[in-house]
This record gives sequence, structure tokens and C-alpha cells, in this order.
Amino acid sequence: MATVENGTEQFDLGWMRRTGPWNTRAPRGKHGLTLADVAVGAYGEAPDESDNQTGRPRGAVARPGSYRIGGYAVRSKSEIWLDNASFLYEEALQRQWSSATDVPWHTIEPLPDDVEQAECQLATFLTEVEFVAGDVPARWVSLTTPDFLEPRQVLLAQVMDEARHMDVFRKRALANGGGLMQATGATSGFVGGIDLSRDFTEMSSRLHVSGEGAVLTLFRMGELMAQNEAEKVIYRLCAQDEARHVAFGIMHLRYMASAAPERREEIHCYLDEAEAGIIGAANPVGQLTPTSESMAIILGGGKANFDDGMNKVIAIRRRQLGEYKKRVISAGFGERFENGRSGVDRMIDHAA
Amino acid sequence: MARADAPKTGGKADGAAQEQAEAPRKYEPKYNWMNKSRQWGVRVPPGKAGLKLGDLNVGVYGEIPGHWTDETRNPRGAVARRGMPPVGYAVRDKAGLWADSAADLYEEAIQRRWAPATDVPWNTIEPLPDDVEHAVCQVCTELIGYANVDIEAITGWQHRMSYGYHEVKQFLATAGFDAARHFECFRKRALVNGGGLGLEGPGRVNRLILESRGGWTEAVVYLLLLRGVFTMTLYKHLERHAHNDAERFIYGHALTDKARHVTYGLEHLKFAIAHVDDQRQIVATLFAFGDGGLARDLADPVLKEALAVIFGGSVRGAVKKGLAGYGDFMRDFLGTLLAMCRYIDVPRDPARLPAALKEFAPVGDVAA
Ligand SMILES: [Fe+2]
Ligand SMILES: [Fe+2]
Repeated sequence: MATVENGTEQFDLGWMRRTGPWNTRAPRGKHGLTLADVAVGAYGEAPDESDNQTGRPRGAVARPGSYRIGGYAVRSKSEIWLDNASFLYEEALQRQWSSATDVPWHTIEPLPDDVEQAECQLATFLTEVEFVAGDVPARWVSLTTPDFLEPRQVLLAQVMDEARHMDVFRKRALANGGGLMQATGATSGFVGGIDLSRDFTEMSSRLHVSGEGAVLTLFRMGELMAQNEAEKVIYRLCAQDEARHVAFGIMHLRYMASAAPERREEIHCYLDEAEAGIIGAANPVGQLTPTSESMAIILGGGKANFDDGMNKVIAIRRRQLGEYKKRVISAGFGERFENGRSGVDRMIDHAA
Repeated sequence: MARADAPKTGGKADGAAQEQAEAPRKYEPKYNWMNKSRQWGVRVPPGKAGLKLGDLNVGVYGEIPGHWTDETRNPRGAVARRGMPPVGYAVRDKAGLWADSAADLYEEAIQRRWAPATDVPWNTIEPLPDDVEHAVCQVCTELIGYANVDIEAITGWQHRMSYGYHEVKQFLATAGFDAARHFECFRKRALVNGGGLGLEGPGRVNRLILESRGGWTEAVVYLLLLRGVFTMTLYKHLERHAHNDAERFIYGHALTDKARHVTYGLEHLKFAIAHVDDQRQIVATLFAFGDGGLARDLADPVLKEALAVIFGGSVRGAVKKGLAGYGDFMRDFLGTLLAMCRYIDVPRDPARLPAALKEFAPVGDVAA
């Protein structure tokens, strides 16, 4: 043990010998130094089961006397892992935006009252659902061992993204002579809701895959929905963020399908539930009156063109269902569309 | 579902549904959602710094009551929908989380965002003497641990806070994201220059932070004041002793982030103390426990030695110059913390600090 003495001061430099693998030189690449770049050697290895109860950084040396203060609920890799988390996290950092300064608010001009009311009803609804998408991942972050740092980082970025979404729609509702309207209550504490999931994958299938998937399809229709440049920008930037959140869910399901095949049937049960509600209250182009009617007014350009608008609502609903199906197939659970278990094809046929 | 022609979501399509698909029935709008607003005609214009969250607090939208009864996700100012099952929030009193500056700190965090991967000039990092690299890596390991506790504590409370006070939840989303950035950035620094991670920290203060059950205000005392000011001061002194532009950038930016967290913490404690009977005394008691936890963590030599090596430039320099630098850091930390305690009207008597802290307390700093 190296010791340096100087009168009363004595240095015990034993910590210099208590390190993780030494001589680590993460390569600096074209995209700077990414999370994937530092996943080198043992530092890149997330254990299948984490026994880290003290919150120590993955790869650091444990202290025998450390307190077990972690209490993590998520300690199995298959419960939360996905292969491209580092990429999603770094992309989230590169694509952060500001709802205060990146949206050209000055392009918003007064709208006819029916259209403004519809915009404000939709904005009220979106503000409300964005709350869930922020709260729930936050809770799961607090329950996840830092050994699974990559997915945890993506979820932290999601919490940030959703805070911005929540605030951009509040801003929209209060920017143009309108106001907030009535909340839908679609995000209350119902069993089978995103909030109450007691398992991460259950939550993710519902939040990332079906819920945010539906919202992503909608935001991608922003060119159709927008009344001005500001709204176009809002939908485009939100869609960019949602695409990452949806990708997280799909990639996680894909990992889960291969790493824990014994859970496939259980996942199908969650998807059954998600599909039963997919065109329900939590979907703006679902069958809930306040949001689907306001969408019809927005898409038609006013109450006078309601039928035209409603046809567009139904077209978007069809597209949502089709995209949901593609995502579930991509996640590795496509057999439900072959064996008659899923009702999604019938919903597409009868979307009107 | 109110619609008579609602499509089936499962089972076999029957003949009638088939027919509908071919000739969709005309939808008769109800418009029963229209004209339901508590305040209409609101037009908040963008200012010089854009359209900011705090600008929206006009009329009913800016009414922030002392207690928030709604337990659904009703946005503040919207018309509530009755009969909705509660989500269940633990923090429903304004005094339990509020700070007037939260909305501005939220927008500021977004304006000052940075990306460790691409904004840090990683190429300026050159090989360092082995003892110094060991010390940097040990300190980074400790700082990753601090960021981890930031992450776990903030996300553990955030979802338990009512939406009546969304500004604070919004700000905490940025604080959690800042912590995520610190967590990965110090990991990157430890793994980029021929070193590796070191020994995990002793964790007494971590425990105080994570075991705070008395409310978010208690967590704020430990996380944002005690640990927050310690970390902030550490960043400041590490920035002064940075070995290259990359480290200077990292510590400088982490310092700016941390200063926002501490600002919120201070403003919140000031608000809580002004509005809750006995809160001032409770905060004082919490600090007394916190001091003990911190003293115990600092009795462990690892962080002190690693810092002394960095401040002294080598193991050899650690003994004199390094320990002097450590003393400067500790005096700066305690001077700042005690000044902040006076600001929130919880003056502390340096004479009553644990010995490990007392030796660095500013001379002549007395309780008001
Ligand atoms: Fe969102
Ligand atoms: Fe999202």
C-alpha cells in the first residue's frame, strides 16, 4: 500500500488499487464520445440479473460496508433492456428543442371560433395525456438499477421530452384568444391504464407501443392538421420525439421476446388489453366525442365541413391501426394477426 | 360508448358491420364539449425570449391555490371532469414543493442544454500522469454516484406531485435530465483516458436523501442544499484545477446546471418556511442530521485524498498544496452553505457543527 507521510497527515492511497478494469480508452468517434463508445470491455456488460443494491456505477468497485439503499424493483435485464438504447439517448440529446423559442408563435393568427375551440379542446387533451407520459417513465426510472443505465437514460430523456410536450400544448391553448377547455379524464386511475401497470414491460407495451404509437401517427399528420406554421413546427418536433419513445417500446418488446420467451403469452394479454382500448378515450381520433369531433373540425376546416373532417379522422384512425400492426409485427409478436387473436384487422375494415 | 354505430373491437364481423364498412353511416356531431372553458379569450403573446411557461399564468390559469384537491390529471385552469378515479398524489400542498422561480428555471435549463457527446472537446484530453488519472477517475466515480442519487430521488418524487403545480414538475424534468447528463458525462471522462472507474462512495448522505419520507421538502434539504451545494462547490474547484478544455467544459457546465437546482432548492425552502408552521425548526433539525451524515462520509479518506492529488498536481504535491486546496474547497463549501442557511432564515452556529466540518467553518460566522 502506497503511503505518504507528512507529520500528522498520512495518505492511505489504497483506493488507487481498488479500481474496475484499468487502461480503458474509449474511442472518440465521428459523433463525439457517445454512450455506445464507452460501453467498452466489462464496462459495457449489463448483467442478466443485477445484484447492485447500493446504486454504484456499473463497473465500479463495491464497498463491503455500503448500505443497501437501492431497493430496485427492476433488476432483470430482460425486463427493461433494448439493444439500441445508447443510440436513442444520444439522438434525444441532439434533438432537444425549446417550445419557447423554436416555435414561430408569431405565425399564429386569429381563427374562426369553431376552429379555435377545436384546437383548444385538442390542446387540453394533449396536455393531459402528456402528463402521463412524463410521470410514468419517471417512476420506473426510480425503480431501475443503475446497472441498466442505457435504458434508464432514454427514459430520463423521455421525461424531459414529455415535459416539453405538456407545455407546448398548454402554450398553444393560451396563445390565440382561446383557453383550456374540459379535461377528458382519459388518464385517470383505471385498471389496465398506463399508470397502474406493476410490470415495466406491461407499462411499455401500453405507453410506448399502443399509446404513443397512436399519437405518433397523429403528429405525423401535422401538415393536415396545422392552421399555421407554428402548429406545423409543434407537430413535427413532437413527432420526432414520439418516434424515439415508440422505438424504445418496440425494441424492448423485441428484446424481451427473445430473452424471455416464457413471457410471450403474458405480453399477448397486455396487447389484447391495449387493442381493446386503442380507439377509445385516450386516442384523439378514437371514438371519444370531444376529441374526435374537434379533430373533425380541425381537419375539415370548420363545422361547415364536418363530414369531410370526419372522413379524415377515420382515415387517420385506419392509418393508426395499420401502423400499430406493423410495429407489433416488428416487435416480434406478429402471430396474433395470423391466428385470429387480434381484432385490429377488423377494426381497420370497420374504422368508420 | 355513446355512438350507436361503434365498431366492434373483437369477435367476428357480422353482416351489419360489413355493410357499415362499405357505406359508413353519417356521423351526427354532438358538440357538447363546445363552450366549456373557465376563461376564454386568452391571448398570451410571445416576448423577446419567446413564449415562456411563466407567461401563461394569466387569469384563472395563474391561480395557484395552497392546496390542490384534484387527484386526476386535470390541467390547471381546465374544466374538470367529474367522477374520474384519482391517480393518487402524495404532494398536494403548495408549501410542499413550490418555488416562484420554477417556471423560469425550467425555460433556462432548456436554453442552456448541452450534449456531452458532441459539445465536450474530448480531443483535448491527453494522457495524464498515472496518479493524477487515478484521482480524476476516483472523483468521477464519486460524482457519478451523486448524479445517480439525483436521478433516483428526483424521479421518485416527481410523479407523486399534483398537476396543480406543474411548473415544479416541469422544472424537475429538466433537473432529472441534467442529472442524466452528469451521470453519463463523468462516466465518459473516467473511461476515455486510460483509466477506469474507482471505488464506490461511502453513501451515508445518499441514504439520507433516498430515505427522506417526510416529504419532498425534506429531500430538498438533503439533495439540493446539503449535497447540492457540496457538489456545486466541488465542480467549481475542479474546474479551477481542470487538466484540459474538456474537463473545464464539463465542470463548468455541470456547475451551471447544479446552480439551477440549488436555486430552486433555496427558493422552495424559503417558501416552505414562510408558509408552514414549525417548518423552520424542522429544516434546522434535518440539517443537524445531514451534517452528521456528511461528516461521516468525509471521515472516509478516499474522496479527500483523490481531491488532494488533483489540487496538488500529484501524490507528492497532495501532501501540502493538495490538502491546502482541499481546505479551500471545504471552506468555500461551508461558507456558501451557511450563508444560504441564513438566507432561508435557518442560521447555523458553526460551533455546533461536527468536528470534521467545524475545522473548515468560516471564522466569525455566527448564528443570527
Ligand atoms: Fe409526448
Ligand atoms: Fe412520448
